[in-house]
Amino acid sequence: MKFTKFVTAAAVSLMMAAGGASADEKKPVVGLVMKSLANEFFKDMLEGAKEHEAKRGDYVLKAVGMKNESDIESQINAVENFITQGVDAIVIAPADSRAMVPPLKRAMEAGITVINFDVSLDPKAKEQNGVELAFVGPDNRGGAKLAGEALAAKLGKGAKVVILEGNPGADNALQRKLGFEDAIKEGGLELLDSRTAHWETEEANTVATNMLTAHPDIQGIMAANDSMAIGVVKALESAGKAGEIQVVGFDNIPAVGPMLKDGRLLATVDQFGRDMAANAIDQALEVVKGAPEPQGWVKTPIELVTGN
Amino acid sequence: MDSSAVKIAPQSPVENASSQVSSLLVVKDIRKSFGGVKALRGVTFDLRPGEVHALVGENGAGKSTLIKILSGSFPADSGEIRLENAAYAPAGPRDAKAKGLQVVHQEFNLLPHLSVAENISFEALPRNRFGFLDKTRMNARARQALDAIGLSDVDVKSPVKDLGIAHRQLVEIARALQSESRILILDEPTATLTDRETERLFDIVRSIQAKGVAVVFVSHHLNEVFEICDRVTVLRSGETIITEDIADTSPDRVVAHMVGRRLAAEMAQKVDHDHIGDSALRLDCLQVPQSPHSDGVSFDLHYGEILGIAGLVGAGRTEILRTIFGLQKPVSGQMLREGAVTEITGPDKAISAGIGFVTEDRKDEGLILDMSIAANSSLAALDQVSSNGFLLGGRERNLAEELGAGLNLKCGTVKDAASSLSGGNQQKVVLAKWLARQPKVLLLDEPTRGVDVGAKAEIYAILREQAAKGVALLVVSSELPELITLCDRILVLADHKIQGELHHTEFSEEKILRLAYRREEEGTEE
Amino acid sequence: MTAAVTDTAGKPGSKGFSIRAIMREAGIGLALIGLIIVFSLASEHFLTANNITNILTQITINLILAVGMTFVILIGGIDLSVGSVLALAAVVAGKAISMPGLGPAEAIALAVLAAMVAGTLCGILNGVVSAWWGLPSFIITLGMLNIARGAALQISDARTIYSFPVEFNNFGSLTVWGLPVVFLVALGLALVAWLVLSRTVFGRLIYGLGNSEEAVRLAGHSVFWLKVAAFTICGFTAGIAAIIYMARLNIASPIAGSGFELNAIAAVIIGGTSLSGGRGSVLGTLLGAFIIGVLANGLILLGLSDFMRQMITGVVIIVAVILDHYRAKLTKG
Repeated sequence: MKFTKFVTAAAVSLMMAAGGASADEKKPVVGLVMKSLANEFFKDMLEGAKEHEAKRGDYVLKAVGMKNESDIESQINAVENFITQGVDAIVIAPADSRAMVPPLKRAMEAGITVINFDVSLDPKAKEQNGVELAFVGPDNRGGAKLAGEALAAKLGKGAKVVILEGNPGADNALQRKLGFEDAIKEGGLELLDSRTAHWETEEANTVATNMLTAHPDIQGIMAANDSMAIGVVKALESAGKAGEIQVVGFDNIPAVGPMLKDGRLLATVDQFGRDMAANAIDQALEVVKGAPEPQGWVKTPIELVTGN
Repeated sequence: MDSSAVKIAPQSPVENASSQVSSLLVVKDIRKSFGGVKALRGVTFDLRPGEVHALVGENGAGKSTLIKILSGSFPADSGEIRLENAAYAPAGPRDAKAKGLQVVHQEFNLLPHLSVAENISFEALPRNRFGFLDKTRMNARARQALDAIGLSDVDVKSPVKDLGIAHRQLVEIARALQSESRILILDEPTATLTDRETERLFDIVRSIQAKGVAVVFVSHHLNEVFEICDRVTVLRSGETIITEDIADTSPDRVVAHMVGRRLAAEMAQKVDHDHIGDSALRLDCLQVPQSPHSDGVSFDLHYGEILGIAGLVGAGRTEILRTIFGLQKPVSGQMLREGAVTEITGPDKAISAGIGFVTEDRKDEGLILDMSIAANSSLAALDQVSSNGFLLGGRERNLAEELGAGLNLKCGTVKDAASSLSGGNQQKVVLAKWLARQPKVLLLDEPTRGVDVGAKAEIYAILREQAAKGVALLVVSSELPELITLCDRILVLADHKIQGELHHTEFSEEKILRLAYRREEEGTEE
Repeated sequence: MTAAVTDTAGKPGSKGFSIRAIMREAGIGLALIGLIIVFSLASEHFLTANNITNILTQITINLILAVGMTFVILIGGIDLSVGSVLALAAVVAGKAISMPGLGPAEAIALAVLAAMVAGTLCGILNGVVSAWWGLPSFIITLGMLNIARGAALQISDARTIYSFPVEFNNFGSLTVWGLPVVFLVALGLALVAWLVLSRTVFGRLIYGLGNSEEAVRLAGHSVFWLKVAAFTICGFTAGIAAIIYMARLNIASPIAGSGFELNAIAAVIIGGTSLSGGRGSVLGTLLGAFIIGVLANGLILLGLSDFMRQMITGVVIIVAVILDHYRAKLTKG
């Protein structure tokens, strides 16, 4: 079955080459579908991919970004456009782990190599649609657990913590929350409250301030991304509790650099977003060249970042 | 006087109306309050099949409230209403219609972008067996409804917005009449109609009257009441004053009942025509955008003069006023203010040239209804009641009170909202707004539309006083008696052309009408 | 059409408040007091000096945006772009403040100026385009929402700008007698707006415009400039809000402020200003902003889930508008 798929893919690219215009078209075309480019993380990722394209020079990159994190509609359209254009591979960071399965199935049926990165497609949805697709990406849950463990190590058993979640319904938000919860369980911490601040600095500032009022005994705060962590740090500064209460974040965006340095932020997690798309493209190109498709979960590196 | 009237009309004593078998509708002592305001304080009248029954009274007398109760908009607080001897308390407008009571309102309820046919059938659009709109049936039904009232010249497929105001009114009537109705209430049906259209309406009323439908006719025009109605009920301050047979009363008596005082003399006050001065405004071949004639219109307006413009709806009267005031650009020609060519590109320029404009549409253009009388009075003269951009409340109130006193404005305080006033007093506020600027030229479009008899006389007096002070007034009106009473000179307009000019010595309705219909009669044979 | 309207719109020239004007705002005020009582009973933390300071800080940005929005809604318009304009102004100011070779004072002054100019320009653009072509402001400002957001992302290359002078940041958390200075700025702005709307010719005409554009035009006033002015004020307040945002969080994020426009509109509407224009007041807007802020704070203190919180906020908005509908009816006549 896999062989047939490959043959079809080859046939499609042959047809394209036959009907195509220039010699340049012989280079495989990779369609990169990302989430919101208004998010620094994906912006970095795109730049990483562009550098990668220039460095390798043996493929053509077509990248598409979305308006916002939950713009499923545009992602589906992007995938369908790539199918129409007959690209060789689609590399996608799905905006929704379920809704994106059917369009990707259509892409595979059209003989296109599909690589799923950043956020894993839902296993159940994949099963229902009869799709087998590996996931190339970081372990959000594992990463959050690393950050959580750092906090637990600093605070010790029985310390009281709260979580700031990402957008309800987003898979990475859920995974990070689960990772935090894993660390809380293993580290013997006490979870007082867990709320969303929709990935946003200002909202995180407000929510954290109000949580501090409701629970004056908070010792540690886990934020599911660094934008929210910044808001938390500012809330602590306003409350005069900077340094007293420990904060961890996720993503390692440049803006938290100074905070890590002076200890206002205990730790964050780097998932090397810049390389993530590039790694996935490498995988895709190998499959296009004839290598077997990856299986299961190809984990990409994550690393805990602290001030020291 | 009231008791004698009852004696004169023994067949309609209100006291035992309910016992009469011949009555279709009996209204007995109904009352209604809104908050602390008593809108109805005991209204009693009855309606017989096949009669045209006039309901008259000054604005605020309770006519609208009564109609709204009858048509189911809201219930009465107390009292009794019986329709064909059964208690009548409509749950809502739909219920009232189902019981055979139709109202044609003063404000149109037509949907402007839909066709005439769609409007006529709107409450029960015909469907074919697939559930789709059955256009053929709808159009046929509309055609029939329009033909029934003699409106054969209206295309049922054309959108309502393309019709003139008069035709919209008639379409509204056609809509009301197409369902089986026993009672038809016409609320100020002639307010926007010309005399010819009014005659047409009356023919329609007579024909439905002959079918046994009872018609309630609400109007400010007593001549119409006396022409078409069988009986008249006068309301004043929410109470029934009297119900009389038309044959047994006179317009003067009805007016006396309405206002509680005699005004006839005031209405016919002698006019002094000897105060006319130099040219204030001259139009020289001014062609308005709507006019097909490149030579436009030319006339002179003098200080101290009241110049009337008569003509049918659509003759281009309002357009001239709007062009003078800078609301639209003339195509060609020029305007001379005191002999000097003046280009007026907007209301601000007009105002600084000493021109004021009382528009036809008081509610949307003349007033800011939700704002206070004081705020409305100062709207065109805010510089007089402010300093460095800050309003001076005291000065504003003084201005409004002064102006109000000069115009005999009846209101609680000048802080009350303009919407709380009757039509006549609202119009006085519009006048106050312009008089605050002491204009040299005042343009007035239908200055007494929707104003009751008493206030009408007062407004005439105000305008005459302004003329006597040397202000030049240009008045557009559809009411010929108004122009005849008020003006020194009348221009008759038809199809954007001045068909003739009449001096006050030669005024007569007949002459004006002959000029107004001139072009139409030349063009088409009727 | 209500008598109450006269009090806010028709007689701003009169000294002080009339009984009816007080009655009018009293409805919203009572709702606010009710909320405060409920939260005080339910949470020991609610009525503490600290929490009150927090609430004041938290409503500041919304209050500033809502004050500007009041002008636009009073003329019967709407400005959907304020959130994005805030982000654009913040990013422009962020770029300005990080310009090399500036002393902290100069950098801050430049940033404040840059944010105000950016916000004001967006407002002027909104006003001129919608007033000149007579287009619905809903559509024009929806366009501006995207333009400003795109510009913010473009200018910042989608990156959060950070590291501002310490003095700037200090201003964000400064308090005077327990009152956050940023809130005092917002309050001052609201006071000025109230004065302008109730005591000046311009304010009178803003109300007039919302009630009857034709009447204002026919009285010789320039409807075009009035509309432009209302949108300009709204843009200007978005610029001020951007400065407060930066001072509080010490970052300028191109994705800041998304959804802020809806909160600002909600504050204005809860405050009793009519969406169709001509009726309302800054005092109402102030109370509306308080209701939203107190609700957000109190519901977290009560420990309600995020989703319950969202639902309750929605219910409160609708109930407030229904109450306003009845209040308008009651004060009629």
